[in-house]
Amino acid sequence: MEAARADPAVLERLRERIRTLQAAPRQLLSVLRTGLAPVDGLLPGGGFPLGQVVELWGEPASGRARLAFRAIAEAHRALRLAAWVDGPRALYAPALPPLGVRLEQLLVVQPPEPKQLAWSALQLLRSGAFAAVGLDLTRTDVRLSPPESRRLVEAATRSGGLLLLLTPPEAPADGTLRLHVSAAGPGAMRVEVVRSRQGGVFRAVEVPWELLTPGGPSDTGAGSRGLDAPPVPAPPSMPFRRVRACTVRDGLVGIQGQRPGRDLPLPSFAQALGVGS
Amino acid sequence: MSQRVAYVHLPRFPVQRRVLDEPRLAGQPLALVHEAKGVLRISFASGTAQRDGIRAGMTLTAARALLPALRDGLYDATAEAQALSSLAEGFLRFTPAFMLSAPDGLWLDASTASLFGGEAGLVEKVEAQARAAGYRARVVLASEPFTARALARFGAETRACVGPGGSERALAALPLQALEDAPEVVASLRALGLSTLGELSALQSTQVISRLGAQGLRAQRLVRGQDESRLLPAVLPEVVEEVRTLEAPAESLEPLLFALKATLDRLSARLRGRQRAAVRLTLTLVLEPTGPYPVPLALARPTTDPKLLLDLVRHRLESVRLDAPVATLVVTVDESCEDHGQQGVLGDAPAGDAALETVLARLATTLGPEALGSPVLADDHRPEAAHAPGPFRPPRREPGMFAEARRAPSMPPPPPDWQLERPLRLLPGEGEPIDVELDALGALRSARVLGRRRKVLAVAGPERLGGQWWTGSPFQRDYYRVHLEGLGPAWVYRRAGEGEFYLQGLFD
Repeated sequence: MEAARADPAVLERLRERIRTLQAAPRQLLSVLRTGLAPVDGLLPGGGFPLGQVVELWGEPASGRARLAFRAIAEAHRALRLAAWVDGPRALYAPALPPLGVRLEQLLVVQPPEPKQLAWSALQLLRSGAFAAVGLDLTRTDVRLSPPESRRLVEAATRSGGLLLLLTPPEAPADGTLRLHVSAAGPGAMRVEVVRSRQGGVFRAVEVPWELLTPGGPSDTGAGSRGLDAPPVPAPPSMPFRRVRACTVRDGLVGIQGQRPGRDLPLPSFAQALGVGS
Repeated sequence: MSQRVAYVHLPRFPVQRRVLDEPRLAGQPLALVHEAKGVLRISFASGTAQRDGIRAGMTLTAARALLPALRDGLYDATAEAQALSSLAEGFLRFTPAFMLSAPDGLWLDASTASLFGGEAGLVEKVEAQARAAGYRARVVLASEPFTARALARFGAETRACVGPGGSERALAALPLQALEDAPEVVASLRALGLSTLGELSALQSTQVISRLGAQGLRAQRLVRGQDESRLLPAVLPEVVEEVRTLEAPAESLEPLLFALKATLDRLSARLRGRQRAAVRLTLTLVLEPTGPYPVPLALARPTTDPKLLLDLVRHRLESVRLDAPVATLVVTVDESCEDHGQQGVLGDAPAGDAALETVLARLATTLGPEALGSPVLADDHRPEAAHAPGPFRPPRREPGMFAEARRAPSMPPPPPDWQLERPLRLLPGEGEPIDVELDALGALRSARVLGRRRKVLAVAGPERLGGQWWTGSPFQRDYYRVHLEGLGPAWVYRRAGEGEFYLQGLFD
């Protein structure tokens, strides 16, 4: 240290090094990708753009939340925080880790009054502490007023955060980018750009359901199979407290200890419900 | 190796502390008094008061006669010792142990000096820390506790280091008054015409012992640098707590925040000294006359930053309506963790944590603390009980290049198979019963969901979930993933032994 103090050349080299480091482009997030190539390809920047309000508009089982949480998982991978304002108070946390969401980096806010939903999201956005904020207005009867929408857009722009706005079909909001998400039959979901300042309006893609959850199931083969019409020859129905199942359940697998029996068919509903012959 | 100790002398510590708490007293004649045999006597007097002739030991009446403008306050020896101990805890950043020398000084173990740029560096840092806390201090480092203390109290320098073996020479010029623990010896030596410690040191030991006895010999050994006493480390209180009694009960936020700032500064210094960071605190406002009013404070990230803590408290207090003025503040650290500090990245502003704490405090204040949290998975087989809200305590963000380096190994392990196909929305409770239509073979044809009848496009399943058979309320459910027209996939189950279907979740 003494030598460095004495040597101006060393000091100058250090200063130069610091200048270089400070001037170097940072690895900043500009978009949050969903990781689904068809959806990311549909979006102008290759993902949900930070600093904007992205509206995911559709039915409550259309896959909107899954898209939103895949983007949040991207924020978590970049070691950023995310918040979710849970209007319907229906978020099921065990579904999040498979999507890559880190629960300890996710703040869930459940305001007691519906009128506090937009306010909460606004505070979270304005703080700048969260890379992504989700505002779920599904089944809340809340429709954002134009001033509220404007404040949210301004807050997102100023803080550089992303607001993911989940709106029901009957109450769209004023998102900078609005995607209409719907179920396209049992095989896929459909995502369509309804509003965008950067073009690409009315472009749409279909994404197979199984792509939404990594390693998730494919239901495309299910077709119109009845509950009691197994495609394979029926083995004996699984007794409820079978020793093997209990062993697995109480062992490592937990609730899902019943997995060994999940693919086995059940006795006919027709008999149980007293319908049909 | 001989011990090395530093003595921190805080001249008139109780007066300094009083002025810190009430800055309007600065520069005014002030005396702290205690009661002795029914008479109020001066314990400490400020510099201004001393210049007007006020001395410790005078009666307050006599002092008032001498200086009518004299301000006075009560001296509480116990509270002052606690305050001194609190201040000393802050020095634990630099030293492994301290020993109090109430009411206005303390010794520090200086064996760690090499970590702080040598002994001079340690002395400088300790003095700077005291100054940052608002106190004037004199710090002397030596091998003997007596030498360090005498030089700090009666020496001319604010900071000094006395090398091993140099004590006798360093002490020589000090007045006999430095032998504070042996007033009889001092009186005898004065009677003999001696005035400095050097003169005592120069006497023959046999002369000293014959005239002054063992006490005199002990005093001479001290001034010759032969103090063999050892530093006895103080025991830290288990609970980190700061108490502040306000001079006048506060009826508005401003004086309360002023007092809180100083209190939180002290608390933070203590935590830093212990290398701990606060996770949960309780601010107790003692109201007059209604009693204590606790305000719990939970932090998202452990911190020792007093500014951040003050911001958090301010936000909480802005919404609190008190029905009586606040007489006393108590801040208690309920939970703390090891403080790993935070390494900033070049060019980064450490404002992120403050913004996070501020917004969390604002939300908790308006919505209630139970309205926000981070979900925690619960060990329960029923989906409706498989998670619960927990405190939001995100891990601290690693600085740039370290984060890059650690990103790969910090990825969470892949989730087990059973977690892969769960709905993102769960209806409250055990779900809601739905009206279904079955065909002649028992196949599900349509269901009335979310207000209208929808055709079933596909069904996958069943997945059987069961459990609690060891309790009085076992359950057994067969779950189906049902694709409904115009809606998407839904999570529907049928209880074992029942015909009724329930909608429990939506795969949004």
